[in-house]
Amino acid sequence: MAWKQKALVGPKPRVGVYGFTGCAGDQLLLIHTEDELLNLFRAVNIHSFVMASSKPIEEALDVAFVEGSISTEEEKEHLLDIRKRAKILVAIGNCAVNGGPQAMYAGDTKYEKRLEQVYGNAQFVSEPLEAKPLDAYVTVDYYLPGCSIDAKQAFPLISRLVHGAIPEPYPHPVCHECKLNENRCLLIDKRFCLGPLTLGGCGSACPNHNLPCVGCWGPSDDANFTEHVKLLESFGMTKKDIIRRIRNYGGHKILKYIEKI
Amino acid sequence: MPGKQDISIEPLARVEGHGGIKVEIQDNKISKVEVRILEGPRLFETLVVGKTPEEDLSIVPRICAICNLSHKYAALRGLEKALGVKVPQATQEYRHLMHHGEFLESHSLHIYFLALPDFLGYNNAVAMAEKHGETVVKALKLKKFGNKIMRLMGGRMIHGENPILGGFGRLPSREELIQLKEEALELLPFAIETIDLLATLDVPDHMERETQFLCCKPLHDGYDYYGDSFLTSDGKEHPAEDYKSVIKEHVVGHSFAKRSAYNGKPFTVGAIARVLLLGERFKGEAKKAYDKLYNERWHRNPIYNNFAQAIEQVFSLEGVIEVVDKLLASEPPKVALPTQETGAGTGAVEAPRGTLIHHYKIKDGKTTAADFITPTAMFLDDLEEFIRTGGQTMLARKQKENIELEFEKIARSYDPCISCSAHLVEVEFK
Repeated sequence: MAWKQKALVGPKPRVGVYGFTGCAGDQLLLIHTEDELLNLFRAVNIHSFVMASSKPIEEALDVAFVEGSISTEEEKEHLLDIRKRAKILVAIGNCAVNGGPQAMYAGDTKYEKRLEQVYGNAQFVSEPLEAKPLDAYVTVDYYLPGCSIDAKQAFPLISRLVHGAIPEPYPHPVCHECKLNENRCLLIDKRFCLGPLTLGGCGSACPNHNLPCVGCWGPSDDANFTEHVKLLESFGMTKKDIIRRIRNYGGHKILKYIEKI
Repeated sequence: MPGKQDISIEPLARVEGHGGIKVEIQDNKISKVEVRILEGPRLFETLVVGKTPEEDLSIVPRICAICNLSHKYAALRGLEKALGVKVPQATQEYRHLMHHGEFLESHSLHIYFLALPDFLGYNNAVAMAEKHGETVVKALKLKKFGNKIMRLMGGRMIHGENPILGGFGRLPSREELIQLKEEALELLPFAIETIDLLATLDVPDHMERETQFLCCKPLHDGYDYYGDSFLTSDGKEHPAEDYKSVIKEHVVGHSFAKRSAYNGKPFTVGAIARVLLLGERFKGEAKKAYDKLYNERWHRNPIYNNFAQAIEQVFSLEGVIEVVDKLLASEPPKVALPTQETGAGTGAVEAPRGTLIHHYKIKDGKTTAADFITPTAMFLDDLEEFIRTGGQTMLARKQKENIELEFEKIARSYDPCISCSAHLVEVEFK
């Protein structure tokens, strides 16, 4: 699988960084890459990055990086506007890619009821919507998954876009990175782990600490969900428990993988 | 000036999350102030129902990236009480180390990158770097150090899973600990220089008014960032479990955030509240910094929160050095296990921007209810009151220029975390 060239950008592309509903961790990660931050601000023309700078310029953009799920009517309108202005739109982080933890009950058709349970008939600043990923509303050109995104994945993608090249997708699961890190497989010891089902990019952060992968990069397209659920069941977990945990970070994108289990 | 005038500052820049400020002026009087929280609701309290405590610990820090480890810490303190986990002293020390890391990360981000550009007249810290290059480069080093501790103890930069019930997945090596101490010693002079830099800044007085303060009372007689009870500026002490009767929450129509009151009035939490309530407990360089910066205007002026954070940077660097020494002298602790599957617990810590409370009810190993009260939800009402007073004074002084920037400065001084505050609004049925 390879990504196609979407649009060419020139030197010093005009960049916007936006955040919708989420923890702001993906924007924060960019701010926290201390060794790269000043270079990033020099290599591109930051038109809008409200978390880091005042006085945004909201005009045409070469690249928009968008974090967060779409969770209100106002956010939806704003996203449509960004899409219109941007040659390339990149979804950054689990909330933008999958819907985030706030979308863990996606597709249960009970959103209205849950909302009413919590809010009653309150008036809202902006009409709330069930949390959805960006591509529920607009075309997304490139995806940068993670909760939060990782600098080792983010900066190669940003660098390629800045230099007018095509970014490469990273389809490998967490297990791939875990093997390279020479960790003992938790599954050998019959311990719960979602590594085989989950996109890599974190560098197997949790197994490196002798802890199970919680699935926060979202589903891997190559994963065998049916067999992995069976394996975890053989450790004594119930299917209900396993599916619940798989869904914690799977958002809307997990549904097609688990519907037949 | 008669008639109606609206000032709308949206989006509010250099804060965490998506918010805005709306001020209405009617016949030269401030008729309305609204700090608007524009992020959608995420319903975290409902997300964790039916989950294991282990899943809770993974999910709830996702409320906020900047203070994810404070959320983890509050969750651990609440869940460990609920499940009867006896946490070894050395594990507590490792958690203090983790917490110092987060304070250094969050405070340095706020002071140098979000707040200082206002005082020095720039849109952002990178623009500020042209004239203040050395400060920005050193600030990046300090922030990087905070992040390094968070990565080491948390398991990765943001949303690490390494802190678990009763302990950690993996503990740092002696070499890693020694290196942290060395770096803290190296960075301490810069944190002290920052105190001198702040001492030269002019602090506006237009918003000054009396208010109330609240923070966690440390479990020892020193300064610290956690506790099992709250201190308030009326001299009272309240057990953390009683948080619902101490902090009264209510809902306003213009934001997705709960609001809070103490004694029926707004109050402030955060570095300024901690320093005002606990400042006499400082030692070493932190005490020197406190003596240099503190004055009685702090009680009425939230801009000094930036100063209080700078004192806490010094305290946390000294804290890292002290904790590392203790850890080097202790044996690596084992992970403590739950002794029960049913129970309830309240965990309180100080997040960088103020008191953070988590409450959990667990039945047969599954969560039946959870409640999170975040610092931003606590101080939003007080923040609005300061903007109102500031606006009133500026109008009376006919100070129209930069009135928006002055409002933004007040809001930013609180270091508001909009993701944290937007997680849930509860409506009472009557």
